[in-house]
Amino acid sequence: MDGDDLSLRNLTYARLLERGRAPTAAEIAAATGRSLPEVVAGWERLHAEHGLVLDRVTGEIVMANPFSGVPTGYRVQAAGRWWYGNCAWDAFGICAALHADGRIETSCPDCGQPLRVRVRDQRPDDPGLLFHCLVPAARWWDDIVFT
Amino acid sequence: MNLFRSEEHMQRWLASRAPGATIPVDRLSELAHAWWDDRVSPDWRPHTRDQNQAILDRLRLTGDFWRLPNS
Repeated sequence: MDGDDLSLRNLTYARLLERGRAPTAAEIAAATGRSLPEVVAGWERLHAEHGLVLDRVTGEIVMANPFSGVPTGYRVQAAGRWWYGNCAWDAFGICAALHADGRIETSCPDCGQPLRVRVRDQRPDDPGLLFHCLVPAARWWDDIVFT
Repeated sequence: MNLFRSEEHMQRWLASRAPGATIPVDRLSELAHAWWDDRVSPDWRPHTRDQNQAILDRLRLTGDFWRLPNS
């Protein structure tokens, strides 16, 4: 990741935090003075390096890990906003990235009943819950949306 | 990467799937905080593969399942 792409990536994340949602490529172009094709090409390089995950059709952000660019079953309240995480790991990761306590709302994949977890000082308030990861680490990025 | 109410719920969901790895939620939180802590820092730089593997190792997430690819 070269300096320009790192700068583009960090600016994209900064805008995500400001707005509480993933920015569009057009918004980043307007904010940076770069052309839209420059932003799209930079995002594509970041996608290839796992810095962002883009929608293959629209070219917009699907994941800026741990944040999701689209609604998911993992909602996180932290730092005064609601966010979407990509998975259970990322839901806790939002609290971590924001250095904030938080509340995670999801549901049990087995029974569908709501699960609500408060995170305070990095510790969840319901230690009985279990995290399961189906895909081995070596294959996480084979299909990161499935992972 | 899902969160389950209990072992019973997880085993029922896994009945038709090849199982992966399970950890308690407090360890997941430790992992998430070690992995994502710097993610929105203005000075963020990409973690190397070895940095990420060291996080997994430090949390005793070892063995083939938790081995990151070399490339």
